[in-house]
Amino acid sequence: MTGPANGREPGGNGAGDGAGNGAAAGVRPLLTVEHLTMRFGGLVAIDDVSFQAADRKITAIIGPNGAGKTTVFNCLTGFYKPTVGRLTLELEGRGPIFLERMEGFRIASRARIARTFQNIRLFPKMTLLENLVVAQHNKLMRASGYTVRGLFGFGYRREEEKAVEQARYWLEQIGLVDRADDDADSLPYGDQRRLEIARAMCTEPVLLCLDEPAAGLNPRESADLNDLLTFIRNEHRIGILLIEHDMSVVMQISDHIVVLDYGKKISDGDPEFVRQDPAVIRAYLGEEEEEDLPDIVKQDLLADGAGGAGAPS
Amino acid sequence: MAATIPHAGRPVDRRGILIELGGTALVVFALTISLVGFHIKDISGGITLDLRIVDVVSAVAIALVVRGWMILMRHGYYRVVTISAGAVAAILVVSLLFGGAGVQFYMPFKAKLLQWLLAILSTGFAIGAALRMARDGRTAVAEDDGAASDKQVALMDRVGAQVQRNALWIGGFLFAAAACFPFMPGVNLQYLDIGVLVLTYIMLGWGLNIVVGLAGLLDLGYVAFYAVGAYSFALFASPDSPLLQELGLTEGISFWLCLPFAGLMAALAGVALGFPVLRLRGDYLAIVTLGFGEMIRVTLLNFYSLTKGPDGISKIPPPSLLGYSTESKMDEETLENTTEFHTAMGWEFDQADTTVLLYFVILAMALATNFFTVRIRKLPVGRAWEALREDEIACRSLGINPTNTKLTAFGLGAMFGGFAGSFFATRQTFVSPESFTFIESAVILAIVVLGGFGSQIGVVVAAFLLIGLPEIFRELQEYRMLFFGGSMVLIMLWRPAGLLAHREPTIRMHRRKARGGRAEAGGAA
Amino acid sequence: MYHVAYFLDQLINGVTLGAIYGLVAIGYTMVYGIIGMINFAHGEIFMIGTFVSLIVFLLLGLAGGVWLPLAILIVLLAAMLFTAIYGWTLERVAYRRLRASPRLAALITAIGMSIFLQNYVQLLQGARNKPLPPQITGGVEVVNTSNRAGEAYAVSLSYLQMLIIVLTIVLMVVFTVLITRTALGRAQRACEQDRGMAALLGINVDRTISLTFVIGASLAAVAGLIFMLRYGATDFFVGFLTGLKAFTAAVLGGIGSLPGAMLGGLLIGLIEVFFAGYFNLEYKDVATFTVLVLVLIFRPTGLLGKPDIEKV
Repeated sequence: MTGPANGREPGGNGAGDGAGNGAAAGVRPLLTVEHLTMRFGGLVAIDDVSFQAADRKITAIIGPNGAGKTTVFNCLTGFYKPTVGRLTLELEGRGPIFLERMEGFRIASRARIARTFQNIRLFPKMTLLENLVVAQHNKLMRASGYTVRGLFGFGYRREEEKAVEQARYWLEQIGLVDRADDDADSLPYGDQRRLEIARAMCTEPVLLCLDEPAAGLNPRESADLNDLLTFIRNEHRIGILLIEHDMSVVMQISDHIVVLDYGKKISDGDPEFVRQDPAVIRAYLGEEEEEDLPDIVKQDLLADGAGGAGAPS
Repeated sequence: MAATIPHAGRPVDRRGILIELGGTALVVFALTISLVGFHIKDISGGITLDLRIVDVVSAVAIALVVRGWMILMRHGYYRVVTISAGAVAAILVVSLLFGGAGVQFYMPFKAKLLQWLLAILSTGFAIGAALRMARDGRTAVAEDDGAASDKQVALMDRVGAQVQRNALWIGGFLFAAAACFPFMPGVNLQYLDIGVLVLTYIMLGWGLNIVVGLAGLLDLGYVAFYAVGAYSFALFASPDSPLLQELGLTEGISFWLCLPFAGLMAALAGVALGFPVLRLRGDYLAIVTLGFGEMIRVTLLNFYSLTKGPDGISKIPPPSLLGYSTESKMDEETLENTTEFHTAMGWEFDQADTTVLLYFVILAMALATNFFTVRIRKLPVGRAWEALREDEIACRSLGINPTNTKLTAFGLGAMFGGFAGSFFATRQTFVSPESFTFIESAVILAIVVLGGFGSQIGVVVAAFLLIGLPEIFRELQEYRMLFFGGSMVLIMLWRPAGLLAHREPTIRMHRRKARGGRAEAGGAA
Repeated sequence: MYHVAYFLDQLINGVTLGAIYGLVAIGYTMVYGIIGMINFAHGEIFMIGTFVSLIVFLLLGLAGGVWLPLAILIVLLAAMLFTAIYGWTLERVAYRRLRASPRLAALITAIGMSIFLQNYVQLLQGARNKPLPPQITGGVEVVNTSNRAGEAYAVSLSYLQMLIIVLTIVLMVVFTVLITRTALGRAQRACEQDRGMAALLGINVDRTISLTFVIGASLAAVAGLIFMLRYGATDFFVGFLTGLKAFTAAVLGGIGSLPGAMLGGLLIGLIEVFFAGYFNLEYKDVATFTVLVLVLIFRPTGLLGKPDIEKV
């Protein structure tokens, strides 16, 4: 059984065997977005946006509502076909993969980009375990001989056990092993978010795209989420791209931030740089009234630990 | 819910009740005056109208009485309802059953249908009210209607869950019963025929369950694949077939060779249809499949050189067994052998009756379908079907190819439809386009949906209810489809998810506790 | 010249048939727009419309000669009224409780209602075909030529066809005004967008949906009357195929769009008549559905439907 799943290069085997992957330090770009433009009729949702996301780093895309963040994700994961632009995924030992030409499901299966959704999309009437096993579909399909062999039961059982083990590993990471056999829609909101991340990780991705993972979470759940994401980056050594409104998440864990406003990129850099970028402050606080805003609002927007940020001049 | 507390001593809103009753009377009158009130009668050289005002008045009266009972029930006057409905039911049942034999009394309306309807309704009300009365006697606290119906729903949910969990036992028992059925005393040819029919629909239901129940694809044209299977089979199995005559063959090809071929053809038809249309959203898919069903029927009807059009293909032989033809015996064995199968059935196959053989063939085919479905549900493709049903977008984000996965479901469902079609052809010995109308698709879909999505035993129950019962009560043949349509509506209103709707996980991490519904919270790391 | 005449003849026939499909299609498209279900029994509502029209015609005939335009008006109003009550009852009894249920449940209920209504009418009125003698005769000759065999071939626009076209156009105009200009129309569009929000804003959602069924059923009744006048016979089964094609028309035009329903109806009518006239009578239904499948593949939202961007 030497499925492609086992012979994969960087990015971790999913099942926590991170130590086996001794690749060089992750500074090379994993994903390169060039001149991405998306129009819906006359509406320009994204206008010539370019950025890079590094391997083994957390890249955040932030911006006010309607800035085009989710549209970037949808182009990236094949739900929309970009009007203009090139999306390149570069893996070590493999040539570049051009995502803009691929169908959505192939981006997940071949390019190994996994994603979550702004409004959670679990399989609500299937159990947690089933949700995580379905995520390993392609691997299991091969193991079941595309169903033909599986019908007679040869050699499939062991692979299924492995899949369950992988699911158990991720359930342990999100602390939901006890509820493995409950329906996914019986979970509270925060757990559903984490289950969705676990499900995405079960596809053994090289790049994990999270669409507002902290939306609707309370501060404690947010902190747990930070730990989970840091854990994924450090232990599983994959790139993470996330859209977020919650600055406490963004500022604490991001290695790199891209700021969008009205479909255009207005800033790009590490958290410290972005925090002090006047363009960002304008976009968030508005041009004129910025001085009049109550301090609490600024604090909220500019996140915790923003001692160095100071008031914009 | 203040108004529904029984005997609360509050003044009842008389004006509201009057308006309600008046409205009911008016609507029923308006509904019936046109179509019931005037009968279009054929006379020589044209048509004329016949007035049936008595029936209209009776319908209005029945509606008023029923609505009155409903109002009384709502206000908690269970005793009044029990007594009055009971009395009406008793009178009606007696007069309907023994009416011809002497117990004559004045019946204000002529239509038998209305009498039966009222009899059934009043029985229902009497029983319902009596149950409520008994419940109120036991518990001092009166519950409102909402809670009661919630309880009822919860009860059916529990029944559904228990049935699914004990599917092995129940299935085993049902199988044993089905296997013994032909040899039971009192089972005659008529019952056996009904058994064959019910099993055919069970098999069709299980086949369609793959498409509708598991993959969530709404297929309103399943009969097309049934037809493709039946015709593919007939074209090769019958000496009467234009195709065989064209090829210069005088003998049909064996059942056991034609059967897989027919299944294959149906599966190919399924894939061919599915490929362009499976990307469509649910309802569009429904209408396209419906259109496809009609297209197949119209083609069968008009492609005379291949299908012999409305004349159909006849002389389809029954299945052979171990190389012995079972057909020649048909002519010698006349009706005298039809009641005592246990003597006719032995290890000498020459003596085997065709119907018993057919019965076991369809039983085996249905079981094979069942095993296949149960097994494939636990394979990755089966889980992917269910996941697609739940959320296609999420599936795409997990790298599941939606088109291929749906095509597999469509093709496999069609294949089982094709197998069932072959069996239909061999059983009827004759196929014609008339057997493959939309109503067949509707019946099969109704079996799947009424039984409860994805529930294998639900399909069996629904097939008995929809096919078996109407066949047994053949005297009511005239009203059969009326009741069929009506019960589809009523069951859906009562239990929108189907009778035995309950989903068992395909895989478990923890063992389930022997009792109680919750998963055991053990085995945590 | 003969070819032009034949074409013209087919065109007139196609438009009349299209009017029937279009009127029925409006009922499908409105109901689909507002509660998102295929009201499968709508074809049966049309069938009931044909029966009510026939019965009222017969009643007027028994009552003695009535001035024809008045008779048509009476039949029209009566058919609309009595058929609308069926539409209302259908929603009230069968569909209202299932609004929050899975879509499949509502569809099965609708199929059940369709079977029920067919058999209800069959039991009450018998299975035999019911003929209505032609009521409106005569017309205006448009073209007069001879066919290939040299026989005279005249194409005329009959008074009946004029009536059908005028009636349909008038109804369409009235109806468009109703939807775009009145409070009912606004309530209806609000319910289409978001039923929960509409209810919060004080719109009586139940009543709006009921009215939708009533309007749909009365238009189906008009189609039923036209059908009786044009084809002169009905039976309990006419609703099935007409309903199916009308739904096809609604999908073709873009479900949820009223002009789309009318356009779709017209197209289906034309395709059917022209295919039958120029190619093959038996396979005209196959042609219709093939067109539907092609349209759905290349333009899944229909001709006039708004393209819906997948919200992820």
